[in-house]
Amino acid sequence: MPYEFDEILETIKMTEIEHFDIRTVTMGISLRDCADRNIDITTQKIYEKILRYAGNHVKNAQEIERRYGISIANKRVSVTPISIIGDAFGQDEFIKIAETLDKAATEIGIDYIAGYSALVQKGFTKGELELIKSIPNALSQTQKVCASVNVASTKAGINMDAVNLMSNIIKEVAEKTKDRDSVGCAKLVIFCNAVEDNPFVAGAFHGISEPEVTLNVGISGPGVVLEAIKSAGGINFQALSELIKKTMFKITRAGELIGRKVAEKNNIPFGIVDISLAPTPAEGDSIADILIAMGIEDVGAPGTTAALAMLNDAVKKAGLMASSSVGGMSGAFIPVSEDAGMIRAVEKGHLSLEKLEAMTAVCSVGLDMVAVPGSTSAETLAGIMADEFAIGMINDKTTAVRIIPAVGKSVGDYVDYGGLLGRAPIMPVRELSSKAFVLRGGKIPAPIRSLTN
Amino acid sequence: MKLTEDKIREFSIQAISELGANASPDAVKKLVEEKIRSSNDFPEGEMNLSSGRVILTSFGLNTTGIVSSISAALSEAQCDILDISQKIMQEFFTMIMMIDITNSPKDIKDMQEIMKSIGEKLKVKIYLQHEDVFRFMHRI
Repeated sequence: MPYEFDEILETIKMTEIEHFDIRTVTMGISLRDCADRNIDITTQKIYEKILRYAGNHVKNAQEIERRYGISIANKRVSVTPISIIGDAFGQDEFIKIAETLDKAATEIGIDYIAGYSALVQKGFTKGELELIKSIPNALSQTQKVCASVNVASTKAGINMDAVNLMSNIIKEVAEKTKDRDSVGCAKLVIFCNAVEDNPFVAGAFHGISEPEVTLNVGISGPGVVLEAIKSAGGINFQALSELIKKTMFKITRAGELIGRKVAEKNNIPFGIVDISLAPTPAEGDSIADILIAMGIEDVGAPGTTAALAMLNDAVKKAGLMASSSVGGMSGAFIPVSEDAGMIRAVEKGHLSLEKLEAMTAVCSVGLDMVAVPGSTSAETLAGIMADEFAIGMINDKTTAVRIIPAVGKSVGDYVDYGGLLGRAPIMPVRELSSKAFVLRGGKIPAPIRSLTN
Repeated sequence: MKLTEDKIREFSIQAISELGANASPDAVKKLVEEKIRSSNDFPEGEMNLSSGRVILTSFGLNTTGIVSSISAALSEAQCDILDISQKIMQEFFTMIMMIDITNSPKDIKDMQEIMKSIGEKLKVKIYLQHEDVFRFMHRI
């Protein structure tokens, strides 16, 4: 037998018991050739192109799932930022495009379609401004469309006008979807240093330097790492790092195999493996539980940030060795509502928004799926975003904010979406005002780090 | 990468139109071969190893007839057993087989269905996974 008994059992144990799965296979499709001055022709071209490339995406992915015995949790599509396709359009036309994307996504059976996006870190074009204003209607009238807006980067600084605009848009989205726990906000990400080949929604889009079509894969597998750490006992940090690397290496290799095979099946080029460790709300599939297994009492305890930094670094080192095409976010994700351990820590009062912010400085991706009271003001949201983007800008890393100011809810309540989006307790927000700061307007200039030439 | 007939036809049409008046059978053949090579973004060494080999793993409480039921079904489906390794751990039956389904009229999906019904009858779990997943995870 070319494989040891134990090796085969290890793989079976990972896939059958420890929740190892592929989080997403995301097909990125360029829609740049779909632009037309007539909106009906544009939407028709978009619809036809998505169906042409991704028509069999779900079927092909399912076949690969069966062949290798590894499940793929999500099948998704990302497209060129729609503001680029429709720069000449107004809000009504953009909403028609959103509806077209939704229709195409439903037709081909994917979970989400992402790329209702604009990149405005240095300023707005007319079309970008129109797209952003259309986001509340677009997200409340569609099911599967995800939006993202990049408002800051290390090279351009933080566009505070965009931050203020987006904080109002978030409030509006929350209001428009208040009958469903403000679910629209779970489909809207605000970015600093957004990446072009990210397979994870809601922040995915098919960047302008990407090819015609490509297939990116996002792996998962906190459960596997958790079990490995638990069974290793009290080993020292170097040994722990080695252990995480060995485990992640195997997971990444399997992820790359699945991605390549799905790409091959669709007859399109393979893009990247995003080596992020992404949790799911299932018990045991949690980043928080890994941190606890590393030795902290609960997430939020002193030492949490260091533990996360070490985990994240080991994940990256293993992934780099395992795959020749690493990209996307590539770090550990700490979404609150999608991680049973994070939810528990918030419920017990162990994890505050401030500690969560500190944790985002050492991993991907930012304040993700955080629910706050509906009464939180737009200026406070802008302050939270400015802080998060300052971390991203100064450290030359991606940070994002996906925050849900749940209308009519306050601390002690929950938002509950089910599925992968999970449920989140409302976190308290500091009552101190940031209004006079954020409303100064203009841009926070790019840091000295941007001058690398 | 498995080359489909459609793909070869597409390459041939491309080659003929690119060569235009110079399209002789040899020239077309050469160009199509080149296209097949360059379209293949899968690293060559890995591609050649890809095969019809499948790992069958079975676990459960030990009863009589597990090996015979599984191997009878495999022989009926014209699957070749390349290797077999079986252990009883406490009262648990564990078996790993490497099989080749290249010459079988059934594909891996059909075999998974067949093994599922056998597994239900014998109250054991039977998994069939393509060999590649083990090679990718455990071999550098």
